[in-house]
Amino acid sequence: MRPTDLSILDLPHHADPDPDELVRAAMEWHFHPETGSPFWLERARSLDFDPRADIAGHADLRLFPNVANELRDVPVADLVPRGYGERPDVVGVFESGGTTGAPKRVVCPADWLEKLVGWSNANLDVHGFPRGVDWLGITPSGPHVVGEIFRRSARTHGRYGFQVDLDPRWVKRLVAEGKGGQADAYAEHVVDQAAHILRTQDIGVLTVTPPLLERIAQREELVELVNKKVRAIRWGGTQMDPDTAALYRTEIFPSAVLYGHYGSTMILGIAGQRHGGPPGEPCVFDTFSPYITFQVVDPATGEAVPYGERGQVVMHHVSRALLLPNNLERDTATRVPAPEGRIGDSAADIAPVARFDDEDVIEGVY
Amino acid sequence: MASPQQENQPQTGPSMLDALGPGGPYRTRTRQQVADVTGAVVAELSLAPALFVNRTMKALRAAAPLPAADRASALARAAELFRTATLGGLTPGEYEASVSRVSGLPISDVRVATQTCAERVSHSYRSVQLARPAGAVADWRDPLVRSSQAVWTRRGDVLAVHVPGNHPGTHGFWPEALALGYRVAVRPSAREPFTAHRLVLALREAGFGDDQVVLLPCGHQAADALVRGADLAYGGDEIIRQYADDPGVLSLQPGRSKILLTADTEWRDHLDMIVDSVLRHAGSGCVNATAVLVEGDAAPLAGAVAERLAVLPSLPPHDEKARLPVQSVKSARAMERFVLDRAAGTRAWLGGTGFVDELGDGSAVLRPVVHQADSAQAPQLGTEVPFPCVWVAPWSREDGCAALRDTLVLTVVTEDHALVQELIDEPTISNVHVGSHATHWHRPGLPHDGYLGEFLMRSKTVAHV
Repeated sequence: MRPTDLSILDLPHHADPDPDELVRAAMEWHFHPETGSPFWLERARSLDFDPRADIAGHADLRLFPNVANELRDVPVADLVPRGYGERPDVVGVFESGGTTGAPKRVVCPADWLEKLVGWSNANLDVHGFPRGVDWLGITPSGPHVVGEIFRRSARTHGRYGFQVDLDPRWVKRLVAEGKGGQADAYAEHVVDQAAHILRTQDIGVLTVTPPLLERIAQREELVELVNKKVRAIRWGGTQMDPDTAALYRTEIFPSAVLYGHYGSTMILGIAGQRHGGPPGEPCVFDTFSPYITFQVVDPATGEAVPYGERGQVVMHHVSRALLLPNNLERDTATRVPAPEGRIGDSAADIAPVARFDDEDVIEGVY
Repeated sequence: MASPQQENQPQTGPSMLDALGPGGPYRTRTRQQVADVTGAVVAELSLAPALFVNRTMKALRAAAPLPAADRASALARAAELFRTATLGGLTPGEYEASVSRVSGLPISDVRVATQTCAERVSHSYRSVQLARPAGAVADWRDPLVRSSQAVWTRRGDVLAVHVPGNHPGTHGFWPEALALGYRVAVRPSAREPFTAHRLVLALREAGFGDDQVVLLPCGHQAADALVRGADLAYGGDEIIRQYADDPGVLSLQPGRSKILLTADTEWRDHLDMIVDSVLRHAGSGCVNATAVLVEGDAAPLAGAVAERLAVLPSLPPHDEKARLPVQSVKSARAMERFVLDRAAGTRAWLGGTGFVDELGDGSAVLRPVVHQADSAQAPQLGTEVPFPCVWVAPWSREDGCAALRDTLVLTVVTEDHALVQELIDEPTISNVHVGSHATHWHRPGLPHDGYLGEFLMRSKTVAHV
């Protein structure tokens, strides 16, 4: 039975739709000639199945190829579903980090961002983020979706949002070229700007990447300012090991809420830290299921690893805004059961894909 | 007290090796398994994150050193504790058994290293003073300063020590920095962290504060923070090598120690010394002979050394009679491929078709290897590996001093005093032993590769009227 009523795609963030119904409605939307994007309508011709007829539910998403690499070159206008009309209400065009080659692009319609931030704000409430305070964001803005999420979160959950710009691609390039000193200087330049805002403004929420939070923790003045003003710290962008998180929670910023994000521009969103983990344990990230789902798999077979085991993270995004199933990320994670009644996996202890030990002999006895 | 035999029995369950921070022992969730040569896990080493390292380096910088007299007595006491006390739950015998298991060094050699290390630590306050220039005094309150005087002062306050894991004896030198009033952060080798752990515990029990000497096992990123957070760094791990060109970093270099015997001497009289130089410390040290050069035909000497080394038995490291090092089969085989590849073009006297003797428990003995090269310029002569592996080559007056450059210890047996002078004058030879002193010969108070004090200290004028 194929859906004709696609209103399930428009439910509010707390509605908890049936995952299989959502997927069937999304197939109808993304592959109907009147509503689908030019990219998917064209791409469907080379699939050996008919998404509208053959995708019965969430489990069938695995039939799709991973098309993420094709998003490096596609004209972005082709990515927007025609169903959004001639003048789609779009928040922006966003790009992946560009760590593995040229950046990949996605388009974010306004209805999706509103839904995502609604879900995220509810999470912040659970974690005890104060409402109505001013936010400071030391995160990439530019082409990355995280900057847009920051601005929207600050405006809707908080009051004013202050931003310091950050270009992670430049830092990666400096490091790759062995210019560690310049990367250092750039990071200190960023922290200097944040320091000025912290000194002069009443900042209640800090959004920051773990490496920059470490630099803040290196300056006594800033540690005092954060402890005096900031009531919650949201971190994301790179990982924070549980020992470091425990030091923040117990010694350095003992009175602030510490809350982690794990996101990707390619899912147009973020997974949020599960509430209630004890210090010293790795944080678990839950997704905005069923729109954003993870699977933690053995990269060799594509099959799920057992719970508690490490595998590579596969991400799916299924919404009116975007269909991007089977996006294999560079990260590995421990597979954790999703919260009760949610589809997909949760992920803990996220780390970049490990390099393998080689057995080269280094000359000398040291 | 348990007998050595009992103590050498494999222990059950991995022990926990905590980081030792300014607030005391620090156990982390991120740990590295320390395996013995059979692959069995012996200990779990807590790895400190960079944030902890950064905070610890600040605490070290904020701490004042002990007064000089207290430093001297604490070092002497620490040496005694290191040698005799139960520290971190390990008796000296259990400590030595653990080192032997994970490093594969023969137990007898580890025991000697305990004594050597304790002796060096015990003498470190005195021995470090030997590096002080004759024109400088150690303290500005010295009456000589009243008439203006050079005072020997630290180049910084905090030293990072990245200890190599090849041999526990390498720990004998860095406590000299404590003698000078440095606060010291030690990054132990993940391969053999027991010695560093024991020594830091001994130093703390002897009177050094938790904010004066710390143990920071850590991964690469945090190890980088350790170097950056210190004023000076010293050691021989993969991090230090990246900073080798930094004037604030003293990087331990391969020793490439050598023996030279000229035609006016009878090499057969020195065969014991030659074999000892190759074999002592199971061949694992930078002070072991990597090459032997002889004026004349090298073949008889190579044959004689090979004959002596061939008879050594293949034994597990805990065996009292073991003299050869043991590694996991995997790393032993990698070493075998490396050496056999390097040996192409030389004449094999021992181990030429392979030298790995598997013990059947996942470990393997690295049996001695002797090759003969046809020239003193052969590139193989600088190939230093951590087991008894020696390259023998002919040397002539035409080769001269040039063939002996870049040598940590050179033993020269000759009657030619002009040659001795030339070798002593050669800047890239760090130590010259004239006559039948083995390359590993050393006494407290003598420099190893220059005095550590030359790196840690400077002289400044103090005029005080």
